[in-house]
Amino acid sequence: MTSGSVPVVPPAGPVDVVLVDDHHMFRAGVRASLDARVRVVGEAENVDEAVEVIHALRPPVVLLDVHLPGGDGGGGTEVLRRCADLLAGTTFLALSVSDAADDVVGVIRVGARGYVTKAIDGTALSDAVVRVASGDAVFSPRLAGFVLDAFGTAAGDVATGDDELDRLSAREREVMRLIARGYSYREVASELFISIKTVETHVSAVLRKLQLSSRHELTRWAAARRLL
Amino acid sequence: MTDELRVPGAPVRLPLRRPERGRVFAGVAVGVAAHLDLPVRMVRVLFVVLTSLLGVGAALYGFLWLTVPVGDPADAAGAGRPPVLGRLARRQEDGRPFRLPGNEVLIGVLLLAAAVVLVVVRANGDAADLGWMLPVLVLLAGLVLAWSQLDVVARGRVRRRSGGRAQGILRIAGGLLLAGVGVLLLITEVSGRGIEPAVLAQAVVAAVAVLAGVALVLAPWWLRLVRELGDERAARARESERADIAAHLHDSVLQTLAIIRARADEPTEVARMARAQERELRDWLYSDRAEPGTSVAAELKAVVAEVEDTRTTPDGEAVAIDVVVVGDRSPDDGTAALLQATREALVNAVVHGRPPVSLYLEVGDEAVEVFVRDHGEGFDIDAVPADRFGVRESILGRVRRRGGTASVTSKPDRGTEVHLVVPVGPCLADDEPAAAQAVGEASVAVGTSPDGKPNGRGRSNGKQNAAAKEQAT
Repeated sequence: MTSGSVPVVPPAGPVDVVLVDDHHMFRAGVRASLDARVRVVGEAENVDEAVEVIHALRPPVVLLDVHLPGGDGGGGTEVLRRCADLLAGTTFLALSVSDAADDVVGVIRVGARGYVTKAIDGTALSDAVVRVASGDAVFSPRLAGFVLDAFGTAAGDVATGDDELDRLSAREREVMRLIARGYSYREVASELFISIKTVETHVSAVLRKLQLSSRHELTRWAAARRLL
Repeated sequence: MTDELRVPGAPVRLPLRRPERGRVFAGVAVGVAAHLDLPVRMVRVLFVVLTSLLGVGAALYGFLWLTVPVGDPADAAGAGRPPVLGRLARRQEDGRPFRLPGNEVLIGVLLLAAAVVLVVVRANGDAADLGWMLPVLVLLAGLVLAWSQLDVVARGRVRRRSGGRAQGILRIAGGLLLAGVGVLLLITEVSGRGIEPAVLAQAVVAAVAVLAGVALVLAPWWLRLVRELGDERAARARESERADIAAHLHDSVLQTLAIIRARADEPTEVARMARAQERELRDWLYSDRAEPGTSVAAELKAVVAEVEDTRTTPDGEAVAIDVVVVGDRSPDDGTAALLQATREALVNAVVHGRPPVSLYLEVGDEAVEVFVRDHGEGFDIDAVPADRFGVRESILGRVRRRGGTASVTSKPDRGTEVHLVVPVGPCLADDEPAAAQAVGEASVAVGTSPDGKPNGRGRSNGKQNAAAKEQAT
């Protein structure tokens, strides 16, 4: 998720964010690195605290670490499950150091709108926050790679209809491949001669498929990685 | 066989275990041979010879079968190693161990033959004893059937077979039935010829009722025992996992941190060490750590690690390479050339380009593709002088000689992207069922090539792999 040359502008004023991470140092680092478009209004360091704070503040965006202590041991996934009633007004952006496919896809399947790694720089993270706040999805190159891995890259795997949940369309796959190659949304748009809005639409569609698909291969793929 | 079981650096005497590899019946002979460091053949002959002496060998075999735990002697010896050497993420299984098919059938046939021999011998001699023989044999058969269940459970084969549980229940039920019949026959024998059927039925009902009552009383206790056993197992697994992590953290991470603190004034070196440590820890935590020579993805990671460790920007800054891999396959000559070209492209991107550097590898059915991207000024491939061997020969030439294509795109503000494609033969597709296992087996099957490399060369490789795949499925 490299930042484009023009920053994404929030609709109106800074976006309020609740920051959930069990490492004090990391929270401090994120707070310091976020730019003026984002405002941290609350913090939590374990599952129960997170659920409480999110319900109390109802922020538009929650930055959620995948690995959290407390609760029933479910970490970020558990926070999402217990905040399922807020999903209409609050979007979750998962943040993790983990490379494990089950961590990444797990939080997406329960409703997170994006996934970024903790190596992300402040501007890019702010971009991502603003982007999920405006209803779009945020994919890191690695998440795009997982998606391609799960949905398959063979020529016969192309979806023909929009309502097909189990396969990516040719365009969606092209977008995913560019993101996996390290392209920002802006770069993807100019590479494919489409608008950024269209890129965002494609990414959101892929996210929806990732969340809803009951594709046999996807479940098998997930099972092979001890996901289900 | 003994040679295969011995591990360099292992203790002189391997612990007594019944390995799954190379066993004919229950692996007793192989285990004893490994333990005593004798040829298996000799141990087997010894057992047979001893059996002819009043059945001592058979008794010994049976005793060892019941008492010696299943396991690989080498692994058991290795369990004594410091946990530092242990790992958290599991290794891919290297194929199914060799087993003689129809083991149970063989054992059954042998038992039957022994029974027939005994019956014939007895029939020729004292006919009165024959009445005792049959019930005892039936009883024994039932016991063997029920006890064989224990052995199967211990081997963990129930998990692997889909119908394992049903089979186990059948075994127990069959064993109970046989043993019951044997006992009944014995009782009839003791109480003289002929018990009235009514009395017999009454006795059976009473016995079953008593047994059911006892079972009912003991059930809670038994259930608790089972649950406690499961809990204890889980706790033990957690404990050993924690010990593993602690040992690893101590061994590598803490040391690296200490070195980093000591050299805090050298930012490049610190960044590089931190990156190398991060890579190692990630590999340790998240990857399945494929066997060497079975995974292009693993080889690519090694290439990336090498470039990250040895190359810097002209300013002397270490560069982290963002790697995304989709799919995997076993390496061949084509992917080897591709990886070499990828390495050159990465070096080029790190040294002459500008970070961030991204690497994307996609394994398809017919080709493997690589994209190496950096955010530098880029260069025009046609403007590169012919004498600059680097790009032209080492990146483009390598790939083209393998029938692949290579292209470089450079745009101002958008950096440079090297795109490499190498066609590959049919291979184990990544989304094949149980891909990990299949790959492991393929490597075993193909691993017989004379140069010791897990894969053959060139075109024949595809066929070999296809054959291996057929075998695997």
